[in-house]
Amino acid sequence: MSEALIQHKPHKHLRTEAIPTDPLKTKIVLVGNPNVGKSVVFNYLSGLYVDVSNFPGTTVEVSKATYLHYELYDTPGIYGVSSFNDEERVARDIILNGDIILNIVDAVHLERDLFLTQQLIDMGKRVGLIVNMLDEAKRQRVAIDLHRLEEELGIPVVGTIATKKKGLEGIHELIVQAREGKQSRSLHAELHGMLSTVGSQSEAMLVLEGDEVVAKRHGVAAADVSRREEIYIDRRNRVNKVLQRVVTDIETGKRIASVFGRWSVNPILGFPILAVILYALYFFVGVFVAQDVVNFTETTIGRNFVEFHIKSWVAQHAATLVTVDILDADGEVTETGSFRFDEGTRNDYDRWAAVRDFPQGRDAEFTFTYDNPWLTLFFGEFGAVTMTLTYLLFLLLPLVLGFYFALSILEDSGYLPRLATLVDRMLRYIGLNGRAVIPLILGFGCVTMATITTRLLGSQREKTIATTILQLAIPCSAQLGVIAALLATAGMVATLIYTAVIFSFLVLVGSVMNRSLPGETSPLLIDLPRMRLPQLDNVVKKTLYKTWFFMKEASPWFFVGALTVGILQVTGALVWIMDAMEPLVVNWLQLPREAATAFVMGLVRRDFGAAGLYHLGLDPFQTVAALVTITLFVPCVASLMVMLKERGPREGMIIWVGSLILALTIGGLVSQALI
Amino acid sequence: MAKGTRGRIERLPGGEIRSHFIRIGLVEGAIISCMEKLPGGTIVLEFSRQEVALSGDLARSIEVSQI
Repeated sequence: MSEALIQHKPHKHLRTEAIPTDPLKTKIVLVGNPNVGKSVVFNYLSGLYVDVSNFPGTTVEVSKATYLHYELYDTPGIYGVSSFNDEERVARDIILNGDIILNIVDAVHLERDLFLTQQLIDMGKRVGLIVNMLDEAKRQRVAIDLHRLEEELGIPVVGTIATKKKGLEGIHELIVQAREGKQSRSLHAELHGMLSTVGSQSEAMLVLEGDEVVAKRHGVAAADVSRREEIYIDRRNRVNKVLQRVVTDIETGKRIASVFGRWSVNPILGFPILAVILYALYFFVGVFVAQDVVNFTETTIGRNFVEFHIKSWVAQHAATLVTVDILDADGEVTETGSFRFDEGTRNDYDRWAAVRDFPQGRDAEFTFTYDNPWLTLFFGEFGAVTMTLTYLLFLLLPLVLGFYFALSILEDSGYLPRLATLVDRMLRYIGLNGRAVIPLILGFGCVTMATITTRLLGSQREKTIATTILQLAIPCSAQLGVIAALLATAGMVATLIYTAVIFSFLVLVGSVMNRSLPGETSPLLIDLPRMRLPQLDNVVKKTLYKTWFFMKEASPWFFVGALTVGILQVTGALVWIMDAMEPLVVNWLQLPREAATAFVMGLVRRDFGAAGLYHLGLDPFQTVAALVTITLFVPCVASLMVMLKERGPREGMIIWVGSLILALTIGGLVSQALI
Repeated sequence: MAKGTRGRIERLPGGEIRSHFIRIGLVEGAIISCMEKLPGGTIVLEFSRQEVALSGDLARSIEVSQI
């Protein structure tokens, strides 16, 4: 057999693709299947400074770092180099552009992972192989002859236990030693025939495997699908032969799945397990972070300290009306004092000191009203600067950190794919597959965050459906808090009606979209990795990356949103909109006219909208009608902006206007039926 | 395929999904066992130390002979 394989000398064939690179630096690319420990190796090599960015033209994140004098790239987890989805397309281009490929494989899943290894070798790349998770292989009684593997593949190999930092020191030598491996002779000859037209062996390989994107770049026709299958089958057979010589099952037939892993996809035990996990999640994010932590950061740090100091600094220089509300233990206003400073507090320092002492240790709320509309726009009640700052840093940041922390634990434990399996059938009714459970759960945290996460879904159709449901029917945590409080006063019946209406509407919209949108739901085909205890350092690192990425992506939109509403307020357009909505609110929704304010304020922050309903003295049924409307009503401006970016302006506007109309229609119908 | 049974793959569906099956090692002739079957047909397969979940409709497109 080894006569049929040749060892090949390196030859130059580089093409620069979309991502900006330093042409003088050697590029190392980390490649591997999902869940093989790639990120641990990347973190080990990269140190502190990592540049995470979107790959141009896609929404796939690519991490780039420096290792010694090399440029180091991380790629999304893939099962092979081709163009089946966005992750693969991104990984493909980075691989084509790389000089040295570090391929990481899971020692237990060599049969699956070595297919990618062999493909990289067939592409004529310089490859070094990291066989990770040797401890797990040992536990499962699988013996792997790494020297033999090195011989069979013709590339250097190191064995590691990345999570325990074992063997990682060997990676440097691997980079130096990385070379082209053994390729099949017939294939190699065929590839060389194409070199003159395509330019590199790697790309010739992909053209031969029917990769239309690469073929188009070179103006050649991609080979037929049947040719790809031939090559794949041949490669699969070669891999299996290598495995026969390298891997020995010391003990066969040993059951591998952990008990918990099996229970979590069991139709009877799976749902109780899910309920326990959701309850823990609710307790951690919904109670601990959203209430205890956020109360402290938002009110104590954000509003009473940061905003207060910014606003009083502005008040030093500008004509200002300062209103002080003294609050009792229930948050009710017991006493109010108004103080005018025509030339700013700077010129009347003694009186300003008296105003600050006015509460005399009682709880108080300071409101600054500026004469200058520009100051109102940036520093007023809904000031683009002050409100955005508090909202982003002291409300959203702790929430997003909490959510991503919980999600990273679930992700690293291996539970999420099992959850996707468990709920796959149910989500199919609304045109989604099991994977969509992740953005849908995230939506209860922050719809903006969840809308970005819809990227992990397989098709445009699924992204559209998931985004619509998120924007329409999933209340975010900020809103949920207020909704829960209002429903608590409205009683059990109101709560049941509210939940039933929202839930059945969600199912209805999903199934209508499922039937009317062209195409079919992509089938679920998901790898269930071993359940394992998450590594804290990895979880923390992941949480920080994701949070940073989200804040970077979403922050400008929160600012734009606040600015938009600020302009509406300063120009008087806000009042005009509320007046225009009044007949609809009073006659159709049968709510007091002030409810219109709540709806419009819901645009800035969804919880503002719901909070505006507190003092309207609604009866239980009015509460239901108002809450249904406000839940379905337009999402906050930031999530709207992110949606426009993710789904494109046209589709985004359709979803937005559609949700407006639907919210008012359904809210009105509920109102007419109940009242 | 019922829960707890083993089988040999006789035929795989065509297209991209077939290429993916070949990549992960699900080829004609491979021996698989059914770890779990959920109402609605979603199925968990075990083969060569891997566990993979498939939607019901995808699972039904694979022909398997019992062994």
